[in-house]
Amino acid sequence: MIRSFRDFADLASEKGPMRVAVLAPEDEEFMLAVKKSWQRGYIEPVLIGNKERIERVAEKVEFDISGFETISNDDRQAISNLGIGMIFSGELPIASKGQIPTSYIYRSIIREEAKTGSGTNVSVISFWEVPGLDHLVAFTDTGVNIVPDAKAKLEICKNALFVYRLLGYSKPSMAVLSGQRQIGGALTSYRDYESIRRAADSGDLGECEIVDATSFTEIFAGKGNRIVNWDSLNLERMPHILLVPCLDTGNIICKLDFVLNVSRCSLVATSRGPVCIPARSDFTDSIVQQLAMCVAIAARMKGGK
Amino acid sequence: MVKSFNDILEAAKSAGPVRLVTSFREQDLDLICRAAAAGFIIPCLIGNGKAIEKMTERGPLASMEHEIVDERYPGGVLQRAISLIREKRADILMQGGFDQNAFLSAVLDARTGLLKAKAASYVSVFELAESGKLILVTDTFLNNYPGLTEKRLILENALSLSAILEIDTPKVAVLAAVEQVNPGIPSTLDAAILSKMSERGQFGKARVEGPLDIDCSLSHLAAKRKGINSNVTGNVDIYLVPEIDTGYLLAESLVCFGRIHTAGIVMGTTNPVILDVPFVSDECRLVEIALASLALRRGEGDGQAV
Repeated sequence: MIRSFRDFADLASEKGPMRVAVLAPEDEEFMLAVKKSWQRGYIEPVLIGNKERIERVAEKVEFDISGFETISNDDRQAISNLGIGMIFSGELPIASKGQIPTSYIYRSIIREEAKTGSGTNVSVISFWEVPGLDHLVAFTDTGVNIVPDAKAKLEICKNALFVYRLLGYSKPSMAVLSGQRQIGGALTSYRDYESIRRAADSGDLGECEIVDATSFTEIFAGKGNRIVNWDSLNLERMPHILLVPCLDTGNIICKLDFVLNVSRCSLVATSRGPVCIPARSDFTDSIVQQLAMCVAIAARMKGGK
Repeated sequence: MVKSFNDILEAAKSAGPVRLVTSFREQDLDLICRAAAAGFIIPCLIGNGKAIEKMTERGPLASMEHEIVDERYPGGVLQRAISLIREKRADILMQGGFDQNAFLSAVLDARTGLLKAKAASYVSVFELAESGKLILVTDTFLNNYPGLTEKRLILENALSLSAILEIDTPKVAVLAAVEQVNPGIPSTLDAAILSKMSERGQFGKARVEGPLDIDCSLSHLAAKRKGINSNVTGNVDIYLVPEIDTGYLLAESLVCFGRIHTAGIVMGTTNPVILDVPFVSDECRLVEIALASLALRRGEGDGQAV
């Protein structure tokens, strides 16, 4: 079972290097991450973007890229289309976003999924490694669906469950999060929780457990209880997957690693392979970690143990 | 400037006691005793007088100044509590044994309750030990899906609290999923408008930046890497959230994962109101009483409170 980012790194070392379409690696922080990932044996980059800028940043971080395939292109959407197309054609197992707006990447993935008729709803999974917890926590959807309805949320759940099972968990647990309180009536997010619970009960989500809690207080302190003190919080109750109500909530909470003692890694799981999507504000070590995770997930998607 | 929960406790202590009214329940006895002993409050307990007397006569409260208001009719307790505030015989209202829905309906009734502003909102105050400051996050409990008009009022309420905490030039992050204005993401539009209103001086000295995602809000460096140059980023005093799912879960995340202490208060009422919120720990409930006392003493408006 994969329980930590260290496990991802170990698996990436074992299964790598894998060829990765690196889209617009035109920032030093990002290029340094590519260099480190290459040195650690995780990836072999195929560099796509403005050749001059790529060469300039590579030089700045003292990375000799002469031995790697480089495809020159200045158009951001074209770069994205090209890299994502390489995954869907089977040419490469992984793509990674560099200095390119994430929305361009999503657009390319959505187009390719539509072409294949896979029916896959595109969503982002952000993993947290929390000290003291014996498993990773997957937040989803933290990147694509702005206000998903119950139907879209079911698809998002399926994606997350698929990925979590790749980590070696046959029956992942999941909480459907909501800001539901005693006051204010039933929130849409709470009605979605009820709907997803019914779907899970009727087998629509395969082997999984939807926990009877929709907020962190309920998860850690138990339903109907309040936080009395830190000792009343039981971290062991943390489910594997947390379905967030909407994009605002997901993106804001998953990036709390800027203030909390947790680490974060995000990916898009397409039907053909993972796409690494570090935030533009992420730093080198975090990007390396995310590339390792994508290599490990790609290896598992191919059927590797 | 009030920088810590200890500062709040000290300030409330030096300000002297205020009268706190609540529907008495046994589980609050220890909290009420501690608040009275610290000099924050003179408790005014409403309910079955004899039963309250029996519960308090042998404890520490017996030797402290307090008042018991005998109200046997359960339906009358809440209205009696509100009346005491409206008649200026009490200063602060604590939820205590009241059902939360009924409590808020009565308190926020524009005609017979305690609503002062056009909207009430809940502000969570977090103590960031590392940076040695308090941050405010709002609305984390009351308003479900505020529109732009409500967000403006929620922000104004938070600014009132920041003034009480002596934050001279509050820096506000209007949070959204992304830092760019995206017509497909309504929270970014509201944020941009509030930011523009701030530019035009509509929020006084406050500097309102939005939309900001959480990484840009928390880290000046992260913001710079995304091309945002602002003195708000990395040094935010007030975080305005888009809606309740985000507000409630964000507050819980800071408490549960960060073990960051939080205390909250209802703003936009004539007098401070303290709610029973699941993510506020026992330890911090004393700070809530002190905060309410401070809000009463330093609040502006019609000579009353927040």
